Amino acid sequence: MKEADLVSEAHVQPIRARRDFGAHASQALGILLVLVVLVWLGVNLVKSPNDFGSVFLVGVSQGALYALVALGYTLVYGILELINFAHGDVFMLGGMITASLVVQLFGLGENPGFGILIAALLVSLAAAIAGCALLNAGIERIAYKPLRGAPRLAPLITAIGVSFILQNVAIIWKGTRPVSVPVSEFSAGHGGQLFKVGQVVYTADRLFVLAVTVPVLVGLIWLVKFTRAGKAMRATAQDKDAAAMMGIDVDRTISFTFLLAGGLAGVGGVIFAFYSTEIGFSTGFTLGLFAFTAAVLGGIGNLPGAVLGALLIGLIQNFNEGLAWHSPGSKWTQSLVFAILILILVFRPQGLLGERTPEGG
Amino acid sequence: MASERVLYVEGIHTFYGAIEALKGISLEVHQGEIVTLIGSNGAGKTTTLRSINGLNHPRRGSIVFEGNDITRTPAHEIVKSGISQSPEGRKLFPRMTVSENLEMGAFQRTDRLETKDDMDRVFSLFPRLAERKSQKAGTLSGGEQQMCAIGRALMARPKLLLLDEPSMGLAPILVERIFAIIKEINDQGTPILLVEQNAMMALDVASRGYVLETGTVALADDAKALLRNEQVRKTYLGETD
Ligand SMILES: Nc1ncnc2c1ncn2[C@@H]1O[C@H](COP(=O)(O)OP(=O)(O)OP(=O)(O)O)[C@@H](O)[C@H]1O
Ligand SMILES: [Mg+2]
Repeated sequence: MKEADLVSEAHVQPIRARRDFGAHASQALGILLVLVVLVWLGVNLVKSPNDFGSVFLVGVSQGALYALVALGYTLVYGILELINFAHGDVFMLGGMITASLVVQLFGLGENPGFGILIAALLVSLAAAIAGCALLNAGIERIAYKPLRGAPRLAPLITAIGVSFILQNVAIIWKGTRPVSVPVSEFSAGHGGQLFKVGQVVYTADRLFVLAVTVPVLVGLIWLVKFTRAGKAMRATAQDKDAAAMMGIDVDRTISFTFLLAGGLAGVGGVIFAFYSTEIGFSTGFTLGLFAFTAAVLGGIGNLPGAVLGALLIGLIQNFNEGLAWHSPGSKWTQSLVFAILILILVFRPQGLLGERTPEGG
Repeated sequence: MASERVLYVEGIHTFYGAIEALKGISLEVHQGEIVTLIGSNGAGKTTTLRSINGLNHPRRGSIVFEGNDITRTPAHEIVKSGISQSPEGRKLFPRMTVSENLEMGAFQRTDRLETKDDMDRVFSLFPRLAERKSQKAGTLSGGEQQMCAIGRALMARPKLLLLDEPSMGLAPILVERIFAIIKEINDQGTPILLVEQNAMMALDVASRGYVLETGTVALADDAKALLRNEQVRKTYLGETD
């Protein structure tokens, strides 16, 4: 290996010089871009610190929601090197379950009381977590497991197929028009200001996003780092044969990973339904791509990376849409997020926190 | 051999898809023994171990361990029954530390305190690992990785230890050291099935040996006899007449 490197060095010198120049140029461009963004943020901060603060807090809340979904991509990628394109749709079905429960079970309409909202939230969480976890594990069992050992393109295409199937299930179930989740009194406008940071008001809807998400994320990290199941997951992600030799049931560990990812998507679905009060069959596709971008941005397969990437995407989206001074506006959000995806894939495919390894951990 | 038979492999045929890698291999390991499998590249040594540890079940033939048929037992249950392995290419968990790798070796055990004792025992066999216990396994040198892989296998407290080319890629001085440790592990009571390219060293520590050729057992004899065997000397010990 070493020797081969030495031999080839001599021949590639000119090419390397050119690559170095390219690297420097793109580095300079990158630094310039970051500077422009920082200046833009700074001016916005100085001009109206209160708006900036509230946009920041909304961005963090939205990022936390993205993190729930992004973690599902990263968990599954870490263990199977599979991009589970159906994941966003599992999330969407979690939202649909919530919509059904809120409307049909709790019969919520205008001005529901705070207590019944909390009850609806808790029941929705339980149902969506269970439903999405089982759905996701079922998908793995039926659609991906038989393809283990097949070329990598096969499960990928299957995942896209499953995504379409789930969207069609949602259309048959709820129709093509977005369904509304009448809990808005809980949040915007009505929810009242819960606390103030300086002049920035933080309302109930945003608070509940963090109140649900933060414990879930902490619990997940704890599970993966310290429990037996978590160790089995990490070992399986790093080397399946070796994991089996240690006495780990690899198939069960993979099932468990899908259960976990599905459960997180379920939590995400509930939060989305309560937060945006409207959900349609294609919601999972769009939000899934954002979450996937977040996972890649942080380093796919890397759990803290997914959270970091998701917070960044949430912030970028809200700065872009919400800042007063020269912000491109919401019609640019998708282009911006996918531009980030492309830039990351080209210049830093291992993401912000990822290592240069095929599988994460 | 009057001693008790720990492992009995009888006429196994193991496939990779349509490729028949093992064409009727039989071998046995007795209590207290080191038995070695030698043979050229692609002879089927690794496949034999993968058949025993459950990663590639044979299509025909049987494998009996301590009187129980384990031919079709899943790999993760075979470890529990008492067979552990240091595999070809080490297969450590690269992003776990040395300590975590060793802990993974004891994954299926429940006796925490004794696990701790075994960890100390591994560290006394391989003091080098103790120095590196917080280092990520993926950043260890080749020799250190080999020690870690053997240590991890020992952490299962095996009743039979499988070693696949433990001397691969190591400097001669380290090879000597690894073989000394293999002997030491065996002296402490663990029977070992040892796959080796280094036929001379392997036959030196082993009591018996099998020579594999393209998926069949070409020769089976006492290690000392194999060391004297002319064909073995020519093919595997690199002697010319
Ligand atoms: N995953 C696989 N798929 C297809 N064929 C395989 C696979 N693994 C091994 N083989 C084939 O099975 C035969 C036996 O291989 P095996 O790895 O058991 O040999 P070995 O004796 O361990 O060789 P080496 O000394 O090189 O490690 C070889 O012909 C090999 O090409
Ligand atoms: Mg081999």
